[in-house]
Amino acid sequence: MYKAEVRGPLILGNKDYRQITSDIIAPIDNKTPGWWKVAMAVAVTMASIGFFALYYTVRYGIGTWAVNNSVAWGWEIINFVWWIGIGHAGTAFSIFLLILRQKWRTSINRAAEAMTVFAVGCAAVFPAIHMGRVWLAFFIFPYPNTRGPLWVNFNSPLFWDFIAISAYLLISASFWYFGMVPDFASIRDRAKTKIKKAVYGALAFGWTGSTKEWMRYEGLSYVLGGIAAVLVVSVHSIVATDFATSVIPGWHTTIFPPYFVVGAIFSGFAMVMTLMIIIRKYYHLEEYVTDSHLNAIAKILVFISLIMGTAYTTEVFMAWYSGNPYEMFTFFHNRITGDYTFMFWAMVICNAIIPQLMWSKKIRSNITVLFIISIIINIGMWYERFNIVVTSLAKDYLPSSWATYSPTWVEIGIFIGTLGIFASGVLTFFRFLPMIAISEVKSVLKPTEIIEKH
Amino acid sequence: MSATHIIGVFDSKHDLLMGIEGAKSKNFTIEEIYTPYPVMEAMDALRRKSRFTTAAFIYGAVAVVGVLSFLYWTSVIDWPINYGGKPTNTFPSFIIITLVLTILTVTILSLFTFSLKARIYPGKKYFLPDERSTDDKFIVLFDKRTAGAGFEAISSALKASGASEVYEKEF
Repeated sequence: MYKAEVRGPLILGNKDYRQITSDIIAPIDNKTPGWWKVAMAVAVTMASIGFFALYYTVRYGIGTWAVNNSVAWGWEIINFVWWIGIGHAGTAFSIFLLILRQKWRTSINRAAEAMTVFAVGCAAVFPAIHMGRVWLAFFIFPYPNTRGPLWVNFNSPLFWDFIAISAYLLISASFWYFGMVPDFASIRDRAKTKIKKAVYGALAFGWTGSTKEWMRYEGLSYVLGGIAAVLVVSVHSIVATDFATSVIPGWHTTIFPPYFVVGAIFSGFAMVMTLMIIIRKYYHLEEYVTDSHLNAIAKILVFISLIMGTAYTTEVFMAWYSGNPYEMFTFFHNRITGDYTFMFWAMVICNAIIPQLMWSKKIRSNITVLFIISIIINIGMWYERFNIVVTSLAKDYLPSSWATYSPTWVEIGIFIGTLGIFASGVLTFFRFLPMIAISEVKSVLKPTEIIEKH
Repeated sequence: MSATHIIGVFDSKHDLLMGIEGAKSKNFTIEEIYTPYPVMEAMDALRRKSRFTTAAFIYGAVAVVGVLSFLYWTSVIDWPINYGGKPTNTFPSFIIITLVLTILTVTILSLFTFSLKARIYPGKKYFLPDERSTDDKFIVLFDKRTAGAGFEAISSALKASGASEVYEKEF
């Protein structure tokens, strides 16, 4: 009676298995496109600016930044939280949709995981450089040392953060890499040149696709998936506790962990949308990343946007309802109005209002508009982090210690650098690695056919 | 020592499953099956069972006990710090770091277990009976010595079940 299609076909164009392999590895086999070279040149230039800014910071110290006694966390922590947030969707995509057995993930998870690895790598730059004497960063490791048997503070969220991000980077990178192993074997076995066969052969780790290998591969996927699902939630909750365990007005709130986790997944899904639209457009993979896929991501974004709007409203409501004058001041005189008004309203408009356009099916099927909205969300999420970090620090309890903050060229340079590192990483991934999980897409090509046991 | 193998090639998962069923009904012994993507029914047919999740659980249990013991040792025995008279054994604040370190431990040990048990590691020398199995073909492999029948019998049974090709190969 009810024969409504929830989602369109996952792969269009009546493909067979061979065609799928050919289509997905075509960007690796084909010549490097001109647009790729231009984009890579821009990305490398941006990364070089970043490396110079990093060198400048290490050479002359944190004094080259605009952070001060009041605003001790500036762009570096904003960017750290922003990048970690973007890095969240890759794993969220792969893991949650894997556990929920959502087949539409297969065309998208690979790019999302790649995005995670590069984004988390970019995020890790900021806390490291924020330590000031970055060459002493190893002090954070708990190891027997010569400063007395003094251990790191295991009760500090900042230490939890360090361990959580290290674990997250390792698990995301291994999940991504081992996911690619069967695809490397496909490329190896179709390679026409000796160099390509040797390179992809080395990357494939001797994969053959036997049942013994697949069985353990599935086991590893589910184990990593299961524990990474917990990690996704805990990493950003821990980032939130960096803020929430303080006594700063605007930070000291129990809503922070879920608010941060949802915000992270929001920005990450937006970045996934941006990347998938680029992949589909420039590599002509419309038959794999279909309108239906983008539609599904758009629906998730609308839903998360509502949660974001609720979180913003809740924060403001609680500031008023608590009757705490410092909270009232922070929200009503330093965010909704005041020096940083633009940042607050940019956040609300970009994250809570504009995404509501995606309620309309017409908007969800317009790829250009979706691309623009995905970029707007990422800008909005950056403003959200600016709001949280800077406004609360700039004007806290003591008016005598109030300060304003605007970044120096060094801080801007480091941010540009991470954008460049991210872009060059993603472009390298586009060019040399299978952008879509070949073996997984093959598994959803045809409906499962099972022989009935007699 | 090389031996003669019989290789059945199938074009689809459906044909493969028919082939496996056909081979099993005639009591042929399949040595291995190679597929471009994971096929649960093929794993079941060869009675492949993994204890990966049990191993991961044991790693997790050992990690939880290990991390909590380590935190107790550092905070209470080795270098107790007096934070305004609070107890040194601050168990609730150990929970999050225990969770994260457990995840880290399980990840690392699971990766090593996978690498060792599935024999997937850098520089591994591999052998593929038919290179098309990583692309678009499903391969069923029989060792002629243990298959329980000759080439003719196996070939006709597989072809009757939908094999697109059956051939012999020495390796």
